[in-house]
Amino acid sequence: MFDDRSPIYRQIAERIKADVLNETLKADEQVMSTNQYAAFYRINPATAAKAFQQLVDEGVLYKKRGIGMFISPDARDMLRARRKETFFGEVVDPMVAEARAIGIPLGDVINRIEELEGQ
Amino acid sequence: MRFPTRLLVNNLVFAFLVWVAFCVVVALVAAVVALFGSLTQSAWEAAAQLPRWFALFVGVGLVREYLPMYIALGQTRRQFGTQAAVTAALYAPFLAALMTVGYLLESVLYGWADLSQRLGRVHLFTEPTQVPVVFLEHLIEFLAWLVAGGFMAAAFYRWQGGGILSVPLGVGLILLGGVALGTELSLPFIRRIAFSDPGSLTVTVGIGLGVFLLGLALTWAIIRDVPLRNTART
Amino acid sequence: MRIDVQDLVLRYDTVTALDGLTFGLAGGKIYGLLGRNGSGKTSLLSILAAFRRQTAGSVRVDGRPVFENGAVTSRISLIRESGEAVDIGTAEEALSYAEWLRPDWDGDYARELMETFRIEPKKNVRSMSRGQRSAMGVVVGLASRAPLTMFDETYLGMDVPARRAFYDALLADYMAHPRTIIISTHLIEEVSPLFEEVLIIDRGRLVVHEETDALLSRGTSVTGPAERVETFTEGMTVLATERLGPTASAMVYGEFGEERRKRAAEAGLELGPVAMQDLFVHLTTAEGAR
Repeated sequence: MFDDRSPIYRQIAERIKADVLNETLKADEQVMSTNQYAAFYRINPATAAKAFQQLVDEGVLYKKRGIGMFISPDARDMLRARRKETFFGEVVDPMVAEARAIGIPLGDVINRIEELEGQ
Repeated sequence: MRFPTRLLVNNLVFAFLVWVAFCVVVALVAAVVALFGSLTQSAWEAAAQLPRWFALFVGVGLVREYLPMYIALGQTRRQFGTQAAVTAALYAPFLAALMTVGYLLESVLYGWADLSQRLGRVHLFTEPTQVPVVFLEHLIEFLAWLVAGGFMAAAFYRWQGGGILSVPLGVGLILLGGVALGTELSLPFIRRIAFSDPGSLTVTVGIGLGVFLLGLALTWAIIRDVPLRNTART
Repeated sequence: MRIDVQDLVLRYDTVTALDGLTFGLAGGKIYGLLGRNGSGKTSLLSILAAFRRQTAGSVRVDGRPVFENGAVTSRISLIRESGEAVDIGTAEEALSYAEWLRPDWDGDYARELMETFRIEPKKNVRSMSRGQRSAMGVVVGLASRAPLTMFDETYLGMDVPARRAFYDALLADYMAHPRTIIISTHLIEEVSPLFEEVLIIDRGRLVVHEETDALLSRGTSVTGPAERVETFTEGMTVLATERLGPTASAMVYGEFGEERRKRAAEAGLELGPVAMQDLFVHLTTAEGAR
């Protein structure tokens, strides 16, 4: 299910964050337990627990004692804000570099963006 | 100590089934001899030469099969050793009882057919119907053969080819058991102890038990710290 | 169960299988034991399970010595490829002995596992296929519910669905009945996600004992123009370098802090993760980190 290339808990955390961003997981919705996660992805439950702890620390999840883990009400806004900060550095800049490397004039790129905006 | 119920029951049931099959075969052979030749002596006595080999292989199996399994299932060598010793000590009388019953069955059948159940070899008993002595002879014989099998199997398990060195000792145990009975070594001196002395049965039982205990001690010396072999079959 | 191994040595006639092994396991986790053929994995597990006695050093489980200590060994289960735990008569008979000798045996669970692995109860274990015999080992190993459960390469001959079923059963039963589990395996990529901690041994010595995630985060590949890779990795533990024309890729072992990442980015070098399997290969070959 996972490749063994980067710590699995980071991969799980990234997946849950992605689910929050695209609203597969909504505010105050309960997420699967660490054991369910572990069984589903065939990973050690401690690894799943680590991913959850990281998300609790970041404020994406909150714990209800004895019940389980839930999506924080402001998780999506927070993740969006954080992604916005890094959007230009992580998405736009590499795109521009790629366009230059393969010889696409930036004007064409801008035209394409405007075209998409019009849709 | 826990009583070795499972080990004992499984093996006794198997022994009983083998005995039933053995009785049938012996009866058939005897019938053929009686029909086409003349049956002038006990067929069971002749057949009784084989079960001791069965006892030997049971002794081998106890160590070879069950020792590794016991340890793999979390038992100690000491626990196994005790359970195997108890099993052997109860298995031998069971086999001896089956052999005795064999003689009794034979005497009934021979009675019907009006045949002579004459004995051809030297025994502790002179008539096949002397139940306690018939039982005792086979008991001592089986104890010796069982423990000899266990001892040699332990040596082969531990030292593989080097186990061959245990064979003289194993044969020694069996011969010593025979000495107790006066059947195996017909030395005049031994014969005198066994047959002319009024206390001879006590001596016989003493030597018989001594052989069994000596065999157990020798086997224990080998298995007390034996490593399990790693026989990965690739 | 807590396991303490101190200066453990095992010598056969002329071979030193274990050469001064020392480590401690807190217990209650799934541990992976990795090592090349002949590295001493089976020897180590065999001593832990009292299958054999060590030449020197000590092994303690929950603070107590193991060899010929029935109170401890009854709580330890080791399933080896050689199959001594199952090689008695039919599958049914083999299980009957396990049921009789194992204090925490769960018969219903054993029957359930038999169905999962499609084992015929009346079939003689010795005449089973290799995969089926391995599966028998899994059944006895799991249904024994021993507080210390060890599997030594218990997957040989098992096909992919059977191996998946093994991992699923192992995880589910571990979560339902937490205990200490040690798995030795060569199928590193397949099994390593199950491990909470990893031990790597080589030539009878301990090479690594780490949390799985920590071990993975210790490996980083640095890729870029050969010269710059060389300058950047100077003074670092480089496990291996591969060259493809003017490009080089170095596998570096050690923590990579923010500062190093930044320097790499400035030098135009690409950083990537290293698979557990690759780390294993490089930590256990002659030109490795020693």
